[in-house]
Amino acid sequence: MGIEGQYPLLFLIWLAPFAGAIVIWALGPKLKSWSGPIGCAAIGVSFVATLASWADAVRSGPAGATTVVGAHQTMVTWIKGFALGLLWDPLTLVWTLIITGVGFLIHFYSMGYMHGDRGYPRFFAYMNFFVFAMLTLVLADNFVVLLVGWGLVGLASFFLIGFWFERPSAVAAATKAFVMNVVGDVGILFAIFILVAVVGSVSFADAFAGVQAHAYNGQLLFIACAALFVGCAAKSAQVPLHSWLPDAMEGPTPVSALIHAATMVTAGVYLIARCWPMWQGSADARELVGVIGGLTALLGAILGIGQWDIKRILAYSTMSQIGYMIMGVGVGAYDGGVLHFFTHAFFKAQLFLTAGIVIHALHNEQDVRRMGGLRAREPFAFWSMLVATLSICGFPPLAGFFSKDAVVYETLVKGHPVLYAIGVLTAGITAYYMFRMVFITFFGTYRGEIDPSSLGIRHPELAGTSAGLLKHPHDEAAPHEEHAPAWLMTAPVAVLFVGTIFAGFLDLGGTNSFWYGLLQPVFGATIAPVEGAAPFSELASSALVFIVVLAGIGLAYLRYGSTAALRDSVARLRNESIRMFPLLTNAFYFDAAIDALFVRPSRAFGTFFGVVVDPLVIDGAVREARVSALWLGHLFRSFQTGLVRAYALTIVFGAAAFIVYYAVVGAH
Amino acid sequence: MSVALANYIALSAVIFMIGAAGVVLRRNPLVMLMAIELMWNAANLAFVAYARASMNNAGHIFAFLVITVAAAEAAIGLAIVVIVFRRAEFVDVDEVSVLKG
Amino acid sequence: MLTALVLGTTLLAFLAFAFPKSANGAAKWYGVAVALAGLVLLELMDPAAFPPDESARWLSYPFASNFHLGMGGVSYALVQLLATVTVCALLATNVPRQRNFVGLMLLLEATMLGLFLAKDLLLFALLWDAMLIPVFLLMIGWSVHPATAWRYLIYNVAGGLLLLLGTATYGVIYGTTDVIGKGQVTPISDAWAPWILAAFAVAFLVKTPVFPFHTWMPDTYAELPSPVAAVVSSVQSKAGLYGFIAIGLPLFTAWTHEFATVMIVLGTIGLLYGAVIALVADDAKKVVAYSSLSHLGLILIAIFVFNDYALRGAVVYIVAHGFFSAAMFLVIGYVETREETRLVSRIGGLARGSPILAGAMAIAALAALGLPGLAGFAGELFILTGVYQAGYAWLAALALVAIVLAAAYMLRVYQGFMHGPEQADLPQRPDLRPLEIVAVAPLFLALVLLGVNPGPVANYPDQAYTMLAEKR
Repeated sequence: MGIEGQYPLLFLIWLAPFAGAIVIWALGPKLKSWSGPIGCAAIGVSFVATLASWADAVRSGPAGATTVVGAHQTMVTWIKGFALGLLWDPLTLVWTLIITGVGFLIHFYSMGYMHGDRGYPRFFAYMNFFVFAMLTLVLADNFVVLLVGWGLVGLASFFLIGFWFERPSAVAAATKAFVMNVVGDVGILFAIFILVAVVGSVSFADAFAGVQAHAYNGQLLFIACAALFVGCAAKSAQVPLHSWLPDAMEGPTPVSALIHAATMVTAGVYLIARCWPMWQGSADARELVGVIGGLTALLGAILGIGQWDIKRILAYSTMSQIGYMIMGVGVGAYDGGVLHFFTHAFFKAQLFLTAGIVIHALHNEQDVRRMGGLRAREPFAFWSMLVATLSICGFPPLAGFFSKDAVVYETLVKGHPVLYAIGVLTAGITAYYMFRMVFITFFGTYRGEIDPSSLGIRHPELAGTSAGLLKHPHDEAAPHEEHAPAWLMTAPVAVLFVGTIFAGFLDLGGTNSFWYGLLQPVFGATIAPVEGAAPFSELASSALVFIVVLAGIGLAYLRYGSTAALRDSVARLRNESIRMFPLLTNAFYFDAAIDALFVRPSRAFGTFFGVVVDPLVIDGAVREARVSALWLGHLFRSFQTGLVRAYALTIVFGAAAFIVYYAVVGAH
Repeated sequence: MSVALANYIALSAVIFMIGAAGVVLRRNPLVMLMAIELMWNAANLAFVAYARASMNNAGHIFAFLVITVAAAEAAIGLAIVVIVFRRAEFVDVDEVSVLKG
Repeated sequence: MLTALVLGTTLLAFLAFAFPKSANGAAKWYGVAVALAGLVLLELMDPAAFPPDESARWLSYPFASNFHLGMGGVSYALVQLLATVTVCALLATNVPRQRNFVGLMLLLEATMLGLFLAKDLLLFALLWDAMLIPVFLLMIGWSVHPATAWRYLIYNVAGGLLLLLGTATYGVIYGTTDVIGKGQVTPISDAWAPWILAAFAVAFLVKTPVFPFHTWMPDTYAELPSPVAAVVSSVQSKAGLYGFIAIGLPLFTAWTHEFATVMIVLGTIGLLYGAVIALVADDAKKVVAYSSLSHLGLILIAIFVFNDYALRGAVVYIVAHGFFSAAMFLVIGYVETREETRLVSRIGGLARGSPILAGAMAIAALAALGLPGLAGFAGELFILTGVYQAGYAWLAALALVAIVLAAAYMLRVYQGFMHGPEQADLPQRPDLRPLEIVAVAPLFLALVLLGVNPGPVANYPDQAYTMLAEKR
């Protein structure tokens, strides 16, 4: 079943964004404002090809099928065991749809958001390159090409986080993200070593067949899964490799929406879902991933409470939601985890893009304390933000409700009551911090003209991540009169409404649902519903979650949304800023710990070896040898007096000594 | 009736010692050269004496070789002495130490 | 044909010295043409059927020795690398007294061509020393501190003498030195074998260099003019590793196993030691130099785990490292000619005024840090797969630490140069000129092509692989 035969469009899906990136990169200065439409077109072509390929597969497949049947073809063989190719199956399809579909919308939005930026062509080149890299990741039929995509999305992320590279904070954030992601890359690399040693191949099929054949001795399967999960944790911002994600908000907002919310950070979910046979083979691995996912969900939500930067709030909520997904696929609820990825892509993209509209309208203000009362000023943004927030909170019947409840309930079904409790609790906290943001931003009165210090903002220029010392690059190039038409930014958000509201309906109907039919060929019996495994029904669970969510929203209303709270909002915000727990403002000291445990010691080692050991000890030893040679030379030099008679005397004595010696030895 | 080998060797040793003492103790280069000549000839005497005693001609051949080399050495030595005389007006080898390390 | 290649390049090199003073510019293009002709000749060869060996007796007593040139898979990878890098380095050359510079560079290429094609130990040892001469003269004539040249010479001549001594001993004992590429010819039980191997090993380790023989290297790389540094770091440093693959493993198979532990330990120390120093070094060229220490340590490990993946990975990584270190040195050279410094702490924000320069440096740095999809990654992947398969799981894990560190130090240099605010006190200089782009483009092309498919380089037939397979 060859790719070229059955799915001729696959290469188009894969390479159209790459071609776009190359064209824009090479001709950027000449294309100028045309680079945006070209970038969009490249992604659009890719999206249409995805749909066409899907339709083609359904038409040529068995009657009634809604999905593509897994097929892969080797394109190139490096050396024995390294046969690399592309794969096209339902799981890939889901990711490709989001990458190209939501990716297209975000590209479109960027034409408005990045309008007038000096790096406009560069931005679209990077974004197209990112889409290409992400498609490489999900289209791979083996771990090596997956890792190539894995590394390349990290690279695209590096360039886009550091897009405004004159800002030192952006540069630092980019490096941090890249290095932490390399930690993840080497985790996957280690898993590849194990796979090659055990099954002699890097292809998914062989690796999973090895699980069936019990080829992995003892703990090896767990170690392989754990190594893979290091990659997932780094890419998907799971504890303890999460701290790059909030900093990554240094990038332009569309980047945060596409890479650090909708697609790249969910690569970890993809990898675990893709390698589900390995996880099915190791209960320890499922336990590990489930626990880390739950922890991340909880930690991200808690940290979300303490943020003032609108993008950082969303970043922590992303981290928390990916925690849900990871928890889902970790405990074995693969369809639920993937569904949460699917719905999250819509509502989180919408949240970020709406935040971008707000930031844009306020001339790059990101601190929510300096917002307020935007409901009347930006009605579209308000409604968009409200609907997306309700969706992320799991408010029925929005998309988030279906996927989140599926994940949370599945933890109970698979026998993890503690994770279930964490999931329910996190849902409540999520509702609290998300509505905190909505109330502070859109209700009350506008606080942008108030002196920042009266709001408790100690260093106004440092308060946001990017409302910064340096002027925003937008401002230098183009005055605000030349803003792009507003519909460029609102239209994509309007389209996202559809997904944010309706995406969850795909899961309606249990085993008859569209979603189940789509993914069943991948996961087979593992996602079949189990009767009676949980102490209470899914409906009861949903009701419980709903009550907790309502409680969270109510608490947020009391603290930030009620009439009393809005009346003295300035004083309240100042109070909260000053009294914020250090634990929250310092994000549980993860950065400080990493700095103290890894960064400083390696630098200290480097300085010690480079300044002391290398020049003084090792080279010193060589120099010592030179000095001793000199000293010996000086010693022997003193014998050379230049006096002929002294030499003669030496010779005579030497000869005499010889004679005496032989006389004595000869005597014995 | 022949003289015993030991006597030749003893004479050779005595001449050699005289020569060596001359080289070490005298400062005049000409005299030193003459002393070296004495040492050569002491060696020659030993060669010839041993050659006769062992009925082997190799010693004679070596004696001739030594005479030749000694002649060459004397020629070169005298040339050096003359050059040193020309450069500096003294006849004391202790004053000539340009080869000092 | 091989003899023609080596001797022809030598002759044409000497011709460059004869250029009139007024033709300095022409000399550069002459050099490019000669190097390019060599490259074309090499590319026309078929890896499945190399040209036949060429041999002429030049010594019969005290042992038989031939002027014997022949091509093998590993040699082929290396000479292609050498020819490409020489072309690029000559294209990027812009120095005073250009004709002499070009002549010496061609001489350097010729000696190294001979070295990698030599099938006779004595010829190998002689060319080993001969290739020091052009580098030494280039350093004396064109570097800022010519004194460094003596350090380079003393270290490497010391190694070269040991190599010569080992070769002579080998020849006297076994009667012939025409043994490279003939498989195992030494009786394993012989008492002299470990001593000869030890002499060879020290020479190879100094040249590579491997910890703790490396202290000549950072200063040398920093002092050499960038085009020379590119050739020396990318190709000359591989002579030692090539020596282990082509001479050490086949001739002293049993004894290399005895040496393996020491070599792996030295390689591992170098791997981490170089990486942490590169993390803090301020001079960009020294960062690349110490990163070379780290990368070449990895290749040494790869050779001494005796695994097919690792050995093929070593060859791929030798070539990949050649390309990216040459690219790094050339790009740093571009920066240096513009800003008159190469300290990471001094330069900043170049990406704004020179986006092409920034792009070029990005590709070079990313290849060096092993970005998946570029050549360095494939080499690391194969090597570490082999290391793990050979039973050194802990070593594979430790090497991963070095990969993470590589990301940190390469990005530090890249971002230090290119990102951040512009330094107002540095001169504003134009972006890369077309010729400068052309000079590095072949290196980037090679890095990408090898990254997409390292198969060709990994699969050149060579007796080193077959011997490894037979042993198992």
